Amino acid sequence: MRRPGEGDWRRDDLRLRVLALMQGSPDAADPGEVEALALDLLRYQASANVVYGRLVASRGLDPRRIRHWWDFPPVPVRGFRESPAGPPRAPYIGDPAVAEAVFLTSGTTGGAEARGVHRVRDLSLYHASLLAWAREGFGWDGQPVRVLAILPAPDARPDSSLSHMAGVLKAAWDDGGGGFFVDAEGVLDLEALESALADAAAKGSRAYVLSTAFALVHWLDLRAGRPPHSLPPGSKVMETGGFKGRTREVPRAELYRCTAAALGLAEHALINEYGMTEMLSQFYDALPARAPILAIDARLHYGPPWVRTRVLDPVDLSPVPPGTPGLLAHLDLANLDAAAYLLTEDLGVMENSPVGSAPSGAPLELSGAPLEPRRAPLEKTPSFPSRGAGFRILGRHPDSVPRGCSLSMEAWLEATGG
Amino acid sequence: MEAQLRLLSREGGARLRALGLQARLEVLALAGARLADPSDRLRQEAESRVAAEAALSPQATRTVLDALATAWSHPALLALLYADFPDPTVLEGFRPGPSGALHRAIPPRLLVQYASGNVPGTSATALVRALLVGAPTVLKPGHGDQALPDLLARSILDAEPRFEGTFLLAPWRGGEGGPAELACLQAADLMVIYGGLGAVEAVRGLLPPQTPLRIYGPRISGGVVLAPCSADPAVIEAAADAVCAYEQRGCVSPQVIWVQESPGRGPFPTSRAWAKALAEALERRRGALDPRLAVVHRTFYEEAVFAAAHDPTQAVYGGPDRGWMVQYTPNPSRMTPTCGGRTVRVHGFTDPAEVIAAMEPMASYLQTLAVEGDPPSTLAIADALARCGVTRITSFADQPWPPAWWREDGDEPLRTLVRWSVIEPPRGKVETTRTP
Repeated sequence: MRRPGEGDWRRDDLRLRVLALMQGSPDAADPGEVEALALDLLRYQASANVVYGRLVASRGLDPRRIRHWWDFPPVPVRGFRESPAGPPRAPYIGDPAVAEAVFLTSGTTGGAEARGVHRVRDLSLYHASLLAWAREGFGWDGQPVRVLAILPAPDARPDSSLSHMAGVLKAAWDDGGGGFFVDAEGVLDLEALESALADAAAKGSRAYVLSTAFALVHWLDLRAGRPPHSLPPGSKVMETGGFKGRTREVPRAELYRCTAAALGLAEHALINEYGMTEMLSQFYDALPARAPILAIDARLHYGPPWVRTRVLDPVDLSPVPPGTPGLLAHLDLANLDAAAYLLTEDLGVMENSPVGSAPSGAPLELSGAPLEPRRAPLEKTPSFPSRGAGFRILGRHPDSVPRGCSLSMEAWLEATGG
Repeated sequence: MEAQLRLLSREGGARLRALGLQARLEVLALAGARLADPSDRLRQEAESRVAAEAALSPQATRTVLDALATAWSHPALLALLYADFPDPTVLEGFRPGPSGALHRAIPPRLLVQYASGNVPGTSATALVRALLVGAPTVLKPGHGDQALPDLLARSILDAEPRFEGTFLLAPWRGGEGGPAELACLQAADLMVIYGGLGAVEAVRGLLPPQTPLRIYGPRISGGVVLAPCSADPAVIEAAADAVCAYEQRGCVSPQVIWVQESPGRGPFPTSRAWAKALAEALERRRGALDPRLAVVHRTFYEEAVFAAAHDPTQAVYGGPDRGWMVQYTPNPSRMTPTCGGRTVRVHGFTDPAEVIAAMEPMASYLQTLAVEGDPPSTLAIADALARCGVTRITSFADQPWPPAWWREDGDEPLRTLVRWSVIEPPRGKVETTRTP
């Protein structure tokens, strides 16, 4: 039985511990402390969130007796889906009416009528997480840059976590000349963007261009025939998302080649961010300050020390060995007030391609998480990120799913805008 | 390939006309009969190849082949002809029709048919239909349904070499727009697509705008168990069999089943007890899950378990490790497909109007509904179901095995392949006669 007020002080304590982790150096993160914090946080969520508590109990588990965070059940990302007409159902601890932000998924996991809803009770955790890891992902050196977002501004799309993230990055890093170049309806202001890029090039201002992959394609289509820009060295392009539901798909290598050419940059100036509305932390496919950026096909994704990623066998959710594809599950300690341990619908594979120099035979870690042998988790976690491995995202649906003339849920979701 | 296409387009129709309807029917039936004979090497090859490419168990493969062979038997093909053409000889010449006119059914000069997916039999059935009406055809089989059209083609040519040059199995994947595919689509008089929306989208843009296109798209089927039958164990067993047929890849396998509540029968809703009994029946049929389905199974399962944590009136039985799942939700407002692979949603209802309302948003996808009840009760809701979009009402036992003459997706599968030519009677001499 929880005593009155107990949840509040437990939550406050956990919040401070998570924030301390985010505000420290990634190299200083003690893996043992992270594991302990993860365990405490999931125990807290099991007691403070009735639905998650039931989910844990339905697996025959007692949170007090669970010894490793990975023994808690993950919450499926579809658990964040809500019907606009229905009551709040997405995982959330607190009063939904006083959430500081409400982010909605684009519908890629839910269909037109039900969308994923992530209520954020405490934006300070989100901001601390995204800023700390974006610094690593971009290799930002602390000097102002020109943040040019081919995205709607946060006030135009307050339900977009990506726009919010771009707004935070602009507020923290921009030299005063940046902006947003897509309106709330998704219309790109080509002339304004071209002008901003030309201005950055003329003034020698390093630019960080933030965009979805599809918006980059759209921009490239619109500017066909124009001369390329010459952005100064140190400029970067962060692209995210895929092409699902769009009219045109472009291979990532081609997109990078064309974008780099249009901006006068090398291809290694382009990085991919992998995130999801249901998570408050992100992954990047490069850690420029720590290792050279690899060719596109060789890149892996890495998360911060407060994120753990596991690749699980879809049949029984046991961890699979490196090299074996499985479902990606992420533990994100920034999700203190929602669900921290998430089961995605993305397939991925853990790979032993170290960011740093991995000593032969040394245990590897995935986004800071232990790489575990099948059904035999490691007791001890190596430190981040001197010996690190990342994961490769294989996409949402395996191509080989047997398909007949029967309408499948996936096909139906696609047909209805999901 | 282009030369073959030209030959097919130019001479295929004449060859089929020369054979005549009666001979075509007999040859097709003869070819189909070989697939029914376990001692025939063609049947033996079909058993091994279909099982491998469709990932079906040997027993399931034999069941599917038997059902297809029955559908291609002489009586079944004859029934199919008569269902679509009261006088099938309209396929051979002008015959008296309505209003004193003479009517003739003309097959296309070149029929192009694309099938996608891996439900065994879809592609071969398309070949049978085309040849029966006398339409030279290019058939692009589903990527996981290659064996049967190949074997049937061999069987047809063994039985009657004069079928040579009347059909072609396309080697391309469909929608790639290679020179041979483009030439084929340009030459098509009529195109039929059996497949998902992706397959349709891939091809639609390659087809000349004036070419008629008939689409047999993805469908959803279900079941309704009315109160008089909700305690009948035979109905539960039949429902479990229907769920397992074709590993639920076929559009006729039930994905959603409504069970009418019978208050006072026990401490729990009838529908919940029925869902549990269905789960037990599926467990008795437990087999290895196609590993390619593991991800969608897991995704469905986790969402269902999370929903049950939200709402304890819901329940989930089975799981990815069992190879089947039953999600019980007492009374959702709408019908929603499952992930397939022996996965069923079971719901309760009191008034049949609740079922109709829940199915309404799926109207354009509805196909077969097994209705288990006494004949008066079934008839009472049949009209509303039909108006909602259901095109076939049957029992669970028959649900996976539609008769040869079935109105697929509410259509007449042979009639849709022909166009009509009519010799009108002189004005003033209009009379009413039978329809063609």
